[in-house]
Amino acid sequence: MSNMNLYSAGDKIFVRINMFLVAMFTLSTLYPFIYIAAVSFSTGDAVTSGQVILTPVDMTLAAYKHVLAEPMFWISYKNTFIYTIGGTILSLLIIVPGAYALSRPQLVGRRFWNMLIAFTMWFNAGMIPFFLNMRDLGLLDSYIGIIIGFACNAFNIILLRNFFESLPASFEEAARMDGANDFQILWKVYVPLSKPALATITLFCIVARWNGFFWAMVLLRDEDKIPLQVYLRQTIIQLTDDDDFASSLLEATYSFETVSAAIMVCSIIPVLLFYPFIQKYFNKGIMMGGVKE
Amino acid sequence: MSGVKLDKIVKRYGNIEVVHGIDLEVQSQEFVVLVGPSGCGKSTTLRMVAGLEEISGGTLTIEDKVVNNVAPKDRDVAMVFQNYALYPHLNVYENMAFGLRIRKESKESIDKQVTEVAETLGLTDYLERRPADLSGGQRQRVAMGRAIVRHPKVFLFDEPLSNLDAKLRTQMRAEIKRLHKRLGVTSLYVTHDQVEAMTLADRIVVMANGRIEQVGTPMDLFNNPKNIFVASFIGSPPMNQIDAEIDVVEGKLFAKFGDHRLALADSKELGTHCQGHKVVLGIRPEHILTNAQAEADPETATNAIPVELDLIETLGSEALLHTMVMDRPFVVKAETHGDIAHLEKTSAFHFKPSMISLFDKETGDAIDHPAKA
Amino acid sequence: MNVIQSKIGWFIRHVRREWQLYLMLAPTVIWFILFLYKPMYGLQIAFKDYSIFRGIEGSSWVGFEHFYTLFGNDQFIRAIWNTLIISSLSLLFGFPIPILLALMFNEILNQTFKRTAQTIVYLPHFISTVIIAGIVITAFSPSSGIVNQFLVWLGMEPIYFLTKPEWFRPIFIGSGIWQEAGFGSIVFLAAMAGVNPSLYESAVVDGASRWQMMWKITIPCILPTILIMLIIRIGNLLEVGFELIILLYQPATYSTADVISTFIYRQGLIGAQYDLAAAAGLFNAVVAFILVMTANTISKHYSRTSLW
Repeated sequence: MSNMNLYSAGDKIFVRINMFLVAMFTLSTLYPFIYIAAVSFSTGDAVTSGQVILTPVDMTLAAYKHVLAEPMFWISYKNTFIYTIGGTILSLLIIVPGAYALSRPQLVGRRFWNMLIAFTMWFNAGMIPFFLNMRDLGLLDSYIGIIIGFACNAFNIILLRNFFESLPASFEEAARMDGANDFQILWKVYVPLSKPALATITLFCIVARWNGFFWAMVLLRDEDKIPLQVYLRQTIIQLTDDDDFASSLLEATYSFETVSAAIMVCSIIPVLLFYPFIQKYFNKGIMMGGVKE
Repeated sequence: MSGVKLDKIVKRYGNIEVVHGIDLEVQSQEFVVLVGPSGCGKSTTLRMVAGLEEISGGTLTIEDKVVNNVAPKDRDVAMVFQNYALYPHLNVYENMAFGLRIRKESKESIDKQVTEVAETLGLTDYLERRPADLSGGQRQRVAMGRAIVRHPKVFLFDEPLSNLDAKLRTQMRAEIKRLHKRLGVTSLYVTHDQVEAMTLADRIVVMANGRIEQVGTPMDLFNNPKNIFVASFIGSPPMNQIDAEIDVVEGKLFAKFGDHRLALADSKELGTHCQGHKVVLGIRPEHILTNAQAEADPETATNAIPVELDLIETLGSEALLHTMVMDRPFVVKAETHGDIAHLEKTSAFHFKPSMISLFDKETGDAIDHPAKA
Repeated sequence: MNVIQSKIGWFIRHVRREWQLYLMLAPTVIWFILFLYKPMYGLQIAFKDYSIFRGIEGSSWVGFEHFYTLFGNDQFIRAIWNTLIISSLSLLFGFPIPILLALMFNEILNQTFKRTAQTIVYLPHFISTVIIAGIVITAFSPSSGIVNQFLVWLGMEPIYFLTKPEWFRPIFIGSGIWQEAGFGSIVFLAAMAGVNPSLYESAVVDGASRWQMMWKITIPCILPTILIMLIIRIGNLLEVGFELIILLYQPATYSTADVISTFIYRQGLIGAQYDLAAAAGLFNAVVAFILVMTANTISKHYSRTSLW
């Protein structure tokens, strides 16, 4: 039924109005991004005087030059990469075998283990005990703490476990009869078969790591270890109070707004580059484990 | 030498026993088919042999070695699954090589074996393809190929043809039979399709409710079913059944039902004092005569019941005549000789007394079964 | 005795055969114990006079003292109210929009347009909270922000939105909708994809319009999903996106913006009153747990399968 000619007049109107509304919603979703990009490429004056609406005014790279000349930007960018790559790899190393084990019917106490995982979705000790625990474990202000402390969560494990459970048991049985052990079954059969689910979980991990700011802000004291998001926050909040910065603005073509917009753009770009590769998977992958009817 | 021996094999899930002590000995190189309705325990039994289910009781021997607690990979058995379980991410070659690679065989040896088996199965041109790019029959062949390359002691088949369409199924059935003749590997085959069982098996094991009902060659089961269940399960269309009472007239046995009365063959088991004994008459559709053939023969000329046909299904050389007898469907398979006009005129079914099997109404067991003699 | 022996024998055989599974499970279990269950043990400081030097076990018990303090604290009571109000409003305005959006997507025939639009509306979900806050701060800035430019263009006075308590909730909820509405529609789109196409085909043959099909087929078919999602949302009523609040609020807007989590953050992590903040967290966790369990029970009743 994709041939419009087969539609009644009323349906045609309905379809067109609907398309218009979706287009409006989509554009309004897109607009803030365009606005921020436009601000980042405009002069400070143009932004302050409110001329920037859709496209850059007095196109300039001044804000980017300022941002890229800032060593803290590069340090925090590097740190974000460390946290994202290290954290995602560690997460997968824990989650994938764990989910596989939990999906096996022959696992003794399977119900108990699953409850142990699921319970944490319903009851959480909260911010303070978690913080004190990290401190007691000596994981404050360290790369390791950020990477290990958030390596796992119940949702991802359950998502993947459900996906593994949905695969026909005969794959495992065939491999077992062929002489494969559990590690071989997981690595040679389940992992290749679970690409959509694994892609989804990888995406979740990467995005969470890339965007994570709260705990990085709380747990890290050392400026040299903060990730990009924490640096961005400091910029947005502190630039206005920074006298040096304020005075440097007098003769500069950038402003507080354009500089923060430029950092935001720099932080979004990797997400945008990465997004299309994995986007095709998550429609499918997400449903595999999430709400299944 | 015995290939596989099941001695009082039991399967329990918690407190529920689903397989109640199966005894079965599969001879080396024999092709045995387990057949029965779904839920009869045939697949569970097969999976216990494979090692995919734990054995709750009894002893399983493969080539005279007890394997109850041996892992599947060490039992030296190979299995063909209902859904083939071909790895979608591997091509045909890699699918077949999977088991050999796991067993760390040398590259040359893997290559040699896979190529050889692929040739046998006519898969040489498809080795590079992924399962998704194969037809149903080809996938089926790859699944068998994967089992064959391992040169196992026993082949296990779990309803391997049930995902194929009717035509392919017939073709693959013949292929499996040919393959077995050539390779001569002990095979245990599970199906719910009695035609598959009849055509493939050296011996058939009919199962119901976790028990073996009867074991025998296909013809043995067809001719001498032990009870109503086996009788109705083996043969297509199934055996017709009529509830009747025994009537003894002058030392001769008759079956009485409704207004009808049919002469029966002499019985060793039913004496003359069995007047009124409740039985089930079992008559195979192909053993019933229609007017034209029967009236000539004095034995069948009067041994008949009048019928009105509701339906004739034409199959070509044969036709199925449908009617109701004693409120139950009754089917006769008759030859058409190229024309069904003469069948449309059918007004009575004639019975040869020797072709009527008798079953005890109460126990369902066959009366005068040769095994009892 | 024999039964026990045979069970032990079975278990030894089992572990010998399946030890790899337990090895695979171990990192997960260890991680959960170390990072999620050990803090639960630490929750006891909610009932203690916690001192860093004496540690969790060494600190002395004070019973429910912290809870009395909390419930005597106007700020905490206000935080409870703010939490409930903000999340109820988010639910009220934020819940229907993904459903609407999914229905609208479902009616789009041009696949390229549909895919492009979906790609765009899912995107904000993957953007960090800090950037959302940055966008909000930039767009609502009193001098240069686009919103105030618009107000000035309309001939109105510019408003310093982020210092106005009455504007905090609309801005917070609005940016939440902007970020999550698109992504939230995935669940409903998936439910719609599960509707048997022959239902629509037979409706077309019966002469139904698209509008009628939407009301008579699509919506009834996704109703179970809607219900389950609604129950989940109600179960998570205490969960407010506090990270965005921390980034956006300021003392001037505490009266409408301060929620339980931000209260805990300020008391505990900034003010170092760990025991009091832990008590607030425990209260929050217990109420949340009750809500979630109730919701899960109800949804089990509806869907016959548990959510997870």
